[in-house]
This record gives sequence, structure tokens and C-alpha cells, in this order.
Amino acid sequence: MNRGVEIRELRKNFALTRWTGFSRSVFKVVAVNGISMDVPEGQAVAFIGPNGAGKSTTIKMLTGILHPTSGNVSVLGFTPWRDRRKLAHSIGAVFGQRSQLWYHLPPGDTFELLSRIYSLERSEFIRTRDVLIERFNLGSFMATPVRKLSLGQRMRAEVAASLLHRPRVLFLDEPTIGLDVIARQELRSLICEWNRNDGTTIFLTSHDAGDIEHVAQRVVVINHGQVVVDDNVVAVRRKYLGAKILRVQFHELPRTMLLAGVTMLRESAFEWTLKVDTAVTPVRVVTAAVLDAGSVADIAVEDPPLEEVIARIYSESRKEVPT
Amino acid sequence: MTTMESAARYFWIARTAARSNLAYAGEVIYRCSFLAIILYIFMRLWTVVYAGAEEDRVGGLTLPQMLWYLVITEAIYLSAPRVASEVDEDVRTGRLAVHLIRPLSYAGGHLSRAMGDRVVRFAINLAVGAVIALVLVGPIPLRWSGIVMFLAVLPAAFLLDFLGMFLIGLCAFWLESTSGLAIIYTRTVMMFGGMFLPLSIYPAALQPILRVLPFASMLSAPGTMFVNPSLTLLKESIVIQGVAVAIFAGMVGIVQSIALRRLFANGG
Amino acid sequence: MLKSLVDYLQLGAAYLRININAQLEYRAAFYSQIAAMFINDGAWVVFWLFFFTRFPVLHGWSLKDVMSLWAVTTAGYGIAYGLMGNAHRRLAPAIAQGELDLWLLHPRAVLPHLLLGSSIPSAWGDAAFGYVVYFGFVTPDARHALMFVVLSFVVAVVFVGLGITTGSLSFYLGNASTLSDQWRDISITFATYPPTLFEGKVKLLLFTAIPAGFISYLPVESLRSMSITDLLVAIAGALGVLAFGIVMFYYGLRRYESGNLISMNG
Repeated sequence: MNRGVEIRELRKNFALTRWTGFSRSVFKVVAVNGISMDVPEGQAVAFIGPNGAGKSTTIKMLTGILHPTSGNVSVLGFTPWRDRRKLAHSIGAVFGQRSQLWYHLPPGDTFELLSRIYSLERSEFIRTRDVLIERFNLGSFMATPVRKLSLGQRMRAEVAASLLHRPRVLFLDEPTIGLDVIARQELRSLICEWNRNDGTTIFLTSHDAGDIEHVAQRVVVINHGQVVVDDNVVAVRRKYLGAKILRVQFHELPRTMLLAGVTMLRESAFEWTLKVDTAVTPVRVVTAAVLDAGSVADIAVEDPPLEEVIARIYSESRKEVPT
Repeated sequence: MTTMESAARYFWIARTAARSNLAYAGEVIYRCSFLAIILYIFMRLWTVVYAGAEEDRVGGLTLPQMLWYLVITEAIYLSAPRVASEVDEDVRTGRLAVHLIRPLSYAGGHLSRAMGDRVVRFAINLAVGAVIALVLVGPIPLRWSGIVMFLAVLPAAFLLDFLGMFLIGLCAFWLESTSGLAIIYTRTVMMFGGMFLPLSIYPAALQPILRVLPFASMLSAPGTMFVNPSLTLLKESIVIQGVAVAIFAGMVGIVQSIALRRLFANGG
Repeated sequence: MLKSLVDYLQLGAAYLRININAQLEYRAAFYSQIAAMFINDGAWVVFWLFFFTRFPVLHGWSLKDVMSLWAVTTAGYGIAYGLMGNAHRRLAPAIAQGELDLWLLHPRAVLPHLLLGSSIPSAWGDAAFGYVVYFGFVTPDARHALMFVVLSFVVAVVFVGLGITTGSLSFYLGNASTLSDQWRDISITFATYPPTLFEGKVKLLLFTAIPAGFISYLPVESLRSMSITDLLVAIAGALGVLAFGIVMFYYGLRRYESGNLISMNG
């Protein structure tokens, strides 16, 4: 039975009071303007959008922190703001900016505390904890105070802590922020693994395209409080930038090549990086032309980086007038 | 730099510190409400005491004089700048190492900043306290000669307190944290300097000892001088304050040179 | 019902353990903060010592009475904020900065869980001081000793209630930490002076807006009279202050959850 996340016509208005001198004015801000979507259990969704788009507000309503103005939400069969405590047993959250781990103590101490907060059965807790320590590779620093850990180690411990009570849905807010490349990849693969192997539904908020590409199967773009794009990652990339990147390496100096819909992104003596507008010229035509231009040593066809895609979606949706 | 130029520089530092203090309006309001409450509570306390006394003087003071005494001592006590923690920080961040080459300039800089701070805070506290005291108990008789005598003992009181706090800050060379020492110091000044009670109220056996300790010179002397000035008290205070300043200044000098030697031995 | 009580006690014990562990990580600072509290509180004992040497009786109150007043107040303060440190100065800024979100994600009632989240290290010094002064200075008999222990917890309840009330101001007034601290400090100041000093309208004030009456006057009356009625009145007063705080908090929390606080991120 699919009891993942069901959202129907979710709306949230804020009444903000502004004081100018002694006069008070009330502004109505529409933060979420009718979001509807279904997330089946086990899916990994990337929730992206510019600041102020309504992402955090939506997540807060899904976790029961905020009450909506109107609309229905069902998370694992619960209405979040009505059954907050019951739901809390089955969801977890990691905030990149705010830590759950006690700063001056080893992660193990926080783990123990969490077992009490979630009223976990002792043997069950120990089993889960040991599995997490092993899979997240925390063994070497379980006894080290958190303040002495690197950011990468801390985030691994942070994510592990959020999984101690085996939540069915995990909310991740900017989990890789500030991490170096290796730490980021490690964390992504751990989250991915947990999603694929354990079936934990993942809600990921991130500005990092790599996070989205490696962890999420589905991308939902929010802007102006509405869903602007809702599709799987590959389709989003392909649909929103009808372009491909061609990287070519030549044995010898190539002849000039002029084709409609092809822009030279970077050119050095023996290397070309081309951008192909597939709406104008299909890739196979460009490839053929490239092979004609000279003796090719290597050729690669890539999708454009997701950053570009996202940037384009943001700017496109800004042009749209919300209904 | 000529003496005139350095004097001008120190005056400028003091003036800047004074200005920045006036910006902390919130802190001022907080201090005002706190002063109002303490003065009210003590007014009630003394009212009960004086109601049970045989005459209208206790320890040589009338009830209004007792409350005005508290106004002065509170104004002084609450105006103390954070010299100890500043010096402590200088030691820990290594900034002191640079300054200790010219020890007089370092202490002098802190002194002018502290004095600027202190004078402004004291003036505000005094103004607020005076208004509250006027409302609660009315005015007390004041003579111009009395006010002059009061102003005569005030600078040394401030200077003594500064030297005490400066010494504590210097202890950062040897202690992990000087905040504990600072609390001991402030509470000792409070208790043995006669903040709430003029020395004449203290147990008779303790009075002679407390009078010669430097703490009384910081609070009780100026407080008593304001409400009940006398030439004998003035002469006594000048001598005691003078000796105390000399001793404290000497201690500061010694501690600074020990610290300097330690600095060079450890390479800063 | 019983099971959930045990559960919450276990949670409280877990927080106590982790709070003490966190404080012991900086052992020297922890102990010096306790010592500093001793000195702070001790200064006032010295003051009253000097005062009562000169004026043995104050409206029927003797040195021992004032010592008891100080002891039960500091002991209650220490117990309250040693166990529930977040009822102290952390509450107002935490609400203003949206930290409640983290607590709302846990499967626990927000208020009790949130309050347990930290401990004020110096509070243990106050608690120790209160007990040392009472048992060392006032040297009570068994009945008074028992009454004192009970009352120290009653006073603790008042302090927690006061902390919740003052901290909850942030729900209504933005970042109210200065106002909250001031309100708390003023209440504590009044509570450390013999109630016989005040009369009329001021006394009424001390049982309402500035709950010094509930903090120390009722408890010390019970200690002096050793009457069960007085004790019950003191307990009722304490629970009243606590109830008021809880209502203020949850009413404010409703506003928080509907999002009508000014600062929302993203």
C-alpha cells in the first residue's frame, strides 16, 4: 500500500506585521500557493527552488511544525500538524546549518540520548546503531567530541543520528553544504544506499546539482509557492536544456566547422568543447561533421550540468505569471 | 611625543570611551530600573530599622542620609568598567606582549579609557539615583565645602579600583581564567568596602581594620564624604588613599616586570 | 499512564546525565563557576551577618529567618535551572531564532522536552549553597530539614514557571531576551529580602506581576510555622505560577505554528 506523502492543494499565507514608527501595517504573504503531489514510499525527491520560493514552508508543513492555511497532507497516513508526535516516530530530519549532535561530547552520547527521546527498545537500538556505525564508517571517531571532528565526519554522524529510529521518511536540508568533494560524494552515496536498500523516502533540499543528480530520482522545482517542474532527474535535464555538450580531442589540427545550432564553448589547439542545440541540429549530424573535420582521438557526448538547467528553470519560471 | 601631546592623546581616548558609552541606551535603562528597585528596597529596610531606633540617627546618619549614601556607593560600584577582562584578553591574545615594551603607555591607555567610561557611567547613575532618592526620602543638606571634599576623594577611589582590576587582569599570565578572581574582588569590595552599610554600622571590632583597607577607600569614604563630610575624614582618607595607591601601583609595577620577564623567557 | 511517567523520568535522567557530561568536559570552568556562585551568594550572607549584628530583629525576623530565606531561594533556583536550564535565559532567544523547530521534530511534548535540553552549570553552585547554608548555618531538626527539602523543590517549580513565562514573551514581542532577563532578575531580587519590609499595594504586586511572594515568602512562612496548611498554600501558589507559564507558552506556540511570528527563513 502506498502510504508515502500525499499533498492536495496545500496553501499557506502569512500575516506579517510591520511597524513603521507607531503605525502598524499587516501584509499578507502567500508563501505556498496550491501545491499538489504524491510521493510514493521509497522515492528520493529533490525539492529545489530559489530562496523564498516556499520550499522550507512546505517542508515545515509536511513535518508538522507549521499549520497550513488550507489543503490536505497525508504523510504515512498521518496529518502532520494534528498527529505531530505520532508522525515524529517515523520521520527524521537533518539540517545542514543546525546540528542535533551535542558539540562538546562524542557522537555516541547523543546517540544514547536519542534512543531515550524516541523510546527505542534497548537491543533494537544497539543493533541499528552498530549497523549505522559500520555503514557510515563512524567507528574511528565515536569517542571523539564532535567539536574535534571534520565537517565531513560530523555530517556522516549527523545523518546516522537521524536514522537511529529507522524513520520511513527522511528530510535533508542542505546536507552537503560546506563539504569538500570527497566528503560530499561519501555522504551522497550513503544517503543513496539507505534509500535504495532500506526503502527510506528521501526529501532533499539542496542548491548543489551534484546532490540532486546522485541522490534523487525525481526533481520538484518550486517557485512562487507553486510547483513549476515535477519530473524525473534525467527528463528534467534533457527537457529543460535541449542541448548536449560535445567534447572532442583531435590528433591533428582540425578544419573549421560551421553548423547551425552549434556553439563553440571552448577551443584550444586540439580540443573542442561544443554546445549543440538539439532542436536545431540533432547530435548525430554534429558528430558526423566533427568526424569529418579531422582525425578524432576521442569524443564524448554529455548532458549539460544541472546547475545550468536549474538556473534556466528559475529564470523561465520567473517569466511565467502565477495563476 | 611631548607631555602635552601624550596628555592630549589620553584625553582623546577618554572622550571616545565616554561617547561610546552613551550609545548603550538599553543598558542604561536596565541599570536605572535596577537602581530604582535596590533603592526602594533599602528605603523600606532602613524605614523599619529607624522606626525601631531610639533617635533619628543610626551610625551617625539620618535615614535620608543613609539612602543618599547608598546612591553614591551604588553609583560608584555600578560604574566599574571591565578592565580586568580586557587586560585578561590582551594577555591571552598576545596583544599585551607588544604593549609591555612600554608599560607606562599600556597602563596609561587602559586608565584613560577606563576613566572616560567610568565618569560617564557614574554621572548617569548618580543622576538617576538622585532623582529616585529625592522621590523616596527627599533631599539632604549639602554644603559646597562638602561637595568639594567629596570630589577630592573620588578620583583616588576610581584609581584604586582601576589598579585592583588591572592587577587581576594581569594574573591571566598565571591563571587559566581570571573571572573567578574578578568575582572575589568585586564581592570583597562590596562587602568590606561598605557598599550597603557605612562603616559606622559594621561590628565595632572590625571597623578599625576595615577603615585602613583599600576597599573602604573606594566606596565608604566617598559615600560618607557626600552625606556627612568632615575634615577629619578628609585627612584620614587622603592618607589612606595615598598609601593604598602607592602600594597598588607598586604591585602593578612588580607584576608587570615579572610578566615581562616571563614573556621573554617563553618567547611570548 | 504510569508507563509514560517512567518514560519521562528516564528521559529526564538521560538529559541530566548528558548535561553533566557536557559540563564536565570543561571541568575547571565548571567547578570555578560553582565556586563563583558560592562567593556571590556568600557575599549576601556576610551582609546580613553584619546587619543583624547591629540590628538583631527586623519586624520579627532574625538572622536565622533571613538565612532560611536565602537558603530555600538559592536551593530552589539551583534545582530549577540545574535540571531545566532552558527555562533560564536561553528560552527567549531560542524562540525568537526559530530553534523550536528542532524540538517540534521529536516525538515528545515540546515544553518539558525543550526545558530539559540544557543545564546552567552555576546553578549547581546555588543549589549546593542553599543546602550548605541551611544545614550548616541554621542547623535544623529532622522535621525542619524534611520541610526544607520539600520546599526547595516547591521553589524550583516556581522558578521553572517564572522562566517559562518570561521566556514565552518572545512569542508575543519578538526577541524579548532582555525584558525576560530583567523580569526574572527583579523577581529574584525582591525574593531575597524579608517580606515584612513590604506592605499594601507593593505586597499585592509581589504576588502577581513580580512573583517573589511565591518564590520565597510563602515557602519561608511554611518553614517558620511548620504548618501543613501553609505548605499546601505554598504548593498551590507554585503550581499556579507553573500553570500560568504553561498556558502562556502553549498559547504562544499556537501562534508560532501558524507562522505568525516575524522571522521565517526561506
